[in-house]
Amino acid sequence: MTTTVIIIIGFLIYVGLYFTYGKKIERDVIKASDEIQTPSHRLYDGIDYIPAHKAVLFGHHFASIAGAGPLVGPALAMCWGWLPGLLWVWFGNVLIGSVHDYLALMASVRYDGKSVQFVATDLISKRTGTAFYWIVFFLLILVVAAFANIIATIFVKTPEISGASIYMTIAAIILGLLIYRAKMNLPIATVIGIVLMIIAIWMSTFLPVPASYEVWMVVLFVYIIIAAAIPVNVLLQPRDYLNSFLLYFGIAIGFLAAIVTFRGFEAPAVTVFSPILLGGKPTPFWPAIPLVIACGSLSGFHSLVASGTSSKQLTKETDGLFVGYGAMFTEGFLSTLIICAIGGFGYTVIKDAHAAQAAAAAAAAVPPLALTLDNWGDLYTKTTTALNLSAPNMIIECFAKMVAASFLAFIPTKLVKIIAGLWISAFALTTLDTTNRIARYCLVEMLAPLKNTAEAAYGILTNRWTASLIPAAIGIYLAWSKQFTILWPSFSAANQLIAAIALMTGAAFVAKKMKSKFTVMAVAPAWVLWVTVTFAIIWFMSVVMPGAIAKAPGQGWTVQIIMGIMLLLNVLFIVDFVKMRKKGDEA
Amino acid sequence: MGTSLFDHIGRLFAHIGTAHRENVIALTSVELNELENIFALLLLGSFVGFPAPPTFLSVELLPFMEREMAVLHQRAGDASDMLAEMVGTLGID
Amino acid sequence: MKILFYTGKGGVGKSTMAAAAAWQLSRENRVLVVSLDPAHNLGDIFCVTLKNGAKQLAENLHLREVDVKKLSRDYLEREVTVLTDTYKYLQVLNLDRYFSILKYSPGIEEYALLTSIEETIRKEKGFDYIIFDTPPTGLTLRFLALPQVTIAWIDRLMQIRRQILEKRYTIQKIRGPLPEGKKSPEIRLDYNEDEDGVIQRLKIMKNNYDTLNGILQGEDCGVVLVFNPDVLSLRESDRLIEGLNDLGLPLRLLINNKVSEENREMASRVEEEFKKMAGGIPLQRVALSEALYCGTEQKLYAIPEDLLSNLQWKEKQDV
Repeated sequence: MTTTVIIIIGFLIYVGLYFTYGKKIERDVIKASDEIQTPSHRLYDGIDYIPAHKAVLFGHHFASIAGAGPLVGPALAMCWGWLPGLLWVWFGNVLIGSVHDYLALMASVRYDGKSVQFVATDLISKRTGTAFYWIVFFLLILVVAAFANIIATIFVKTPEISGASIYMTIAAIILGLLIYRAKMNLPIATVIGIVLMIIAIWMSTFLPVPASYEVWMVVLFVYIIIAAAIPVNVLLQPRDYLNSFLLYFGIAIGFLAAIVTFRGFEAPAVTVFSPILLGGKPTPFWPAIPLVIACGSLSGFHSLVASGTSSKQLTKETDGLFVGYGAMFTEGFLSTLIICAIGGFGYTVIKDAHAAQAAAAAAAAVPPLALTLDNWGDLYTKTTTALNLSAPNMIIECFAKMVAASFLAFIPTKLVKIIAGLWISAFALTTLDTTNRIARYCLVEMLAPLKNTAEAAYGILTNRWTASLIPAAIGIYLAWSKQFTILWPSFSAANQLIAAIALMTGAAFVAKKMKSKFTVMAVAPAWVLWVTVTFAIIWFMSVVMPGAIAKAPGQGWTVQIIMGIMLLLNVLFIVDFVKMRKKGDEA
Repeated sequence: MGTSLFDHIGRLFAHIGTAHRENVIALTSVELNELENIFALLLLGSFVGFPAPPTFLSVELLPFMEREMAVLHQRAGDASDMLAEMVGTLGID
Repeated sequence: MKILFYTGKGGVGKSTMAAAAAWQLSRENRVLVVSLDPAHNLGDIFCVTLKNGAKQLAENLHLREVDVKKLSRDYLEREVTVLTDTYKYLQVLNLDRYFSILKYSPGIEEYALLTSIEETIRKEKGFDYIIFDTPPTGLTLRFLALPQVTIAWIDRLMQIRRQILEKRYTIQKIRGPLPEGKKSPEIRLDYNEDEDGVIQRLKIMKNNYDTLNGILQGEDCGVVLVFNPDVLSLRESDRLIEGLNDLGLPLRLLINNKVSEENREMASRVEEEFKKMAGGIPLQRVALSEALYCGTEQKLYAIPEDLLSNLQWKEKQDV
């Protein structure tokens, strides 16, 4: 089994299922029709409701959801072997994830462009709508925790990447000035921006910025607070813009390298059902897989993105499949790429790291863990952590090796590593910025009931600096613990919970409003997902968290409490949902 | 066959270009709408009891503020449903 | 040209003082006396009827009366017509009713007053003195404050408007030119300051108000405060003096009207208080104790006190 074959099979599966499964959902479940006017025409106001070409919406959707997420999850999932994760990335994506995105988009379109939160409030219960603020708020805190951890881990291992990130930030600020202040012609400004980015990367090769993990934690904290307080066109927008070019470049060389290498997979296809992964505990593939691979297969954020602005700008209903269903596939494709890279080169990278460690200390202080292809499941996570090759670093190393093994080997490996690292960290840094802004907003909405009952407290908590500090502080506090295999699944759990609720909402919409014979195509994945996520959270809280609490009680309990609150909201949701279905059946 | 392929690729790049431009200004557009909303609120606030500029200011400027009134109207309806719009515009992950 | 505002609580005799001063001044100067007070005593005092609100009493003395209510009504009607025309295609139901609420808006009367004062000052260049008889204290303070309040608002609004225009420009620049001939659903918005109706209007208004403010705070303008020897007057005048101070409007003369043998002591005490409130401002006593009306105008012409010498201040007072 080679990387080339996998890429081609992946491509065929996505495209094939798009035209069969996807089209069937469009035709028979949603019954999308060009005869029905979309809100962008019917409610046209020149402000938010403006019809846009589907390519533009696709681009916007893709840019919003592409990032560091699709890369990290699959790297962790390698402990099951390369096949199980890949199957989830393929079939989980097509049968559940893309359906989730598409239903959120179309339900919103049919609801005059209102968000999936509004649809949930209307179809299920007001409590469910409010729950969105709560879950999203905690989700954002966990995003900060997980992503700050990822960034710092990369920075510590390869200080060139931290240098590149800092210089790229400066480049982005300059680009922002060019576009928004100097009002320079956009294509020219773009070229300048890309050149600046290249300079940034080049500078990092001889001007790295090494620092310890804790230092980066503090730096990131300060960064979040400042970045979320300045106008968006200073840093956020221009960096977002530059990131997309990094993305294109990364995908291009990754794709080419994977296709051309014809590399056989080193890692085993399947190991055991419950290898040691999260929190050092045996992790059963079901129900834990959504906690490991989120974006790339299924992500709750997408429902908000789809029903936020895209639904108000959809020109005709049949564009929806391309925008909602199709954009998701590109993410899946990214994940496939990473699985190929790690599957094909991971073992080599590990062996090299072993050798390097042994050479560095003649009498190795820590004897190398005997990771062979037989005990892969049990030792993959332990070994990679011990070798400072946790998921983000693993991605960078394997990606670099993959490119080096192809005709693109003329690109110096160091540069490829920096680019890959920059890709992850640049997207992650932008995410940290945006999460803080939205978390502020969620916090204010969550605390609204306090306005009349506890005015003083309300005033203090919703002050813009406090509201900014709270999520940032908790997030960084959690990230301080360095427990990546706890932080990442917590973030995934919250994300998947939103996805489950959104998909259930989509299914409710289909069941209630569309009298279709094929409602099962929406309802079945919704229930499968909901059950899986609920069981996963319960398992996580009862099996994995105790170990984490023992290791770091402060952070451990914080996470446990957050998970508990989310579980409670989940229970309330399902109660409301079932009540709603019962009422629907009686009516 | 050849020309239509070139056409396709040309159109593809045109679309990518447009998509990029739209991304670059997405947030600015949102900011613009909000500023117009604020401007309208400031001027029309007196109608709903806000402290406001001397009424005649509002009255004199109103004939020029068709678009701002439309934004005000639309925002008033949407104000309670902004989470998804914010996430969609800012883009997470 | 000097401009004088006669202010004071209702009933203290400010219209009379204004009229008397006007009469005395008109011996050697060309004087225009304008009544802004809805109570409109000037016609009675001089015993004349004004046609269309105007009358030439003597070669050097002209009278005006401003009907504030009518001004406000006219102004509103004009604006409502403009609004109705502009917005008739919007889906706003009962537009007339919506805009008629403006009648009750705070600020329309003040605005109408101020506009008429501004027009008068601008147009009547042929006079040496223009004397304004003002309405009761509250309204007077409000319309005197109006220019500064308005300027503050205009500044802020212009700032926000400029931000809006700048962002529109950025968006247009990045979007690029509209493809030829293609009917685009997007609206191209004004971003050019010279073409934006709102900013142009704001600029004009700011100009007018800056000018007016300059005049009101300037050397050729003066406020005369008329009061009676009683405590009520004191309280009200306190407000007025503080208000004038805040606005930087020059108080030039205090007149203690209706002083007689009986209240001489009270008068002195009240004047003590005034000296504390407004030290350095000349204070004058007048003994006229009746309201004047048609038939008694001889009394007006016979007021013995010299009401003029304090009205001919020179720049030294401003130092």
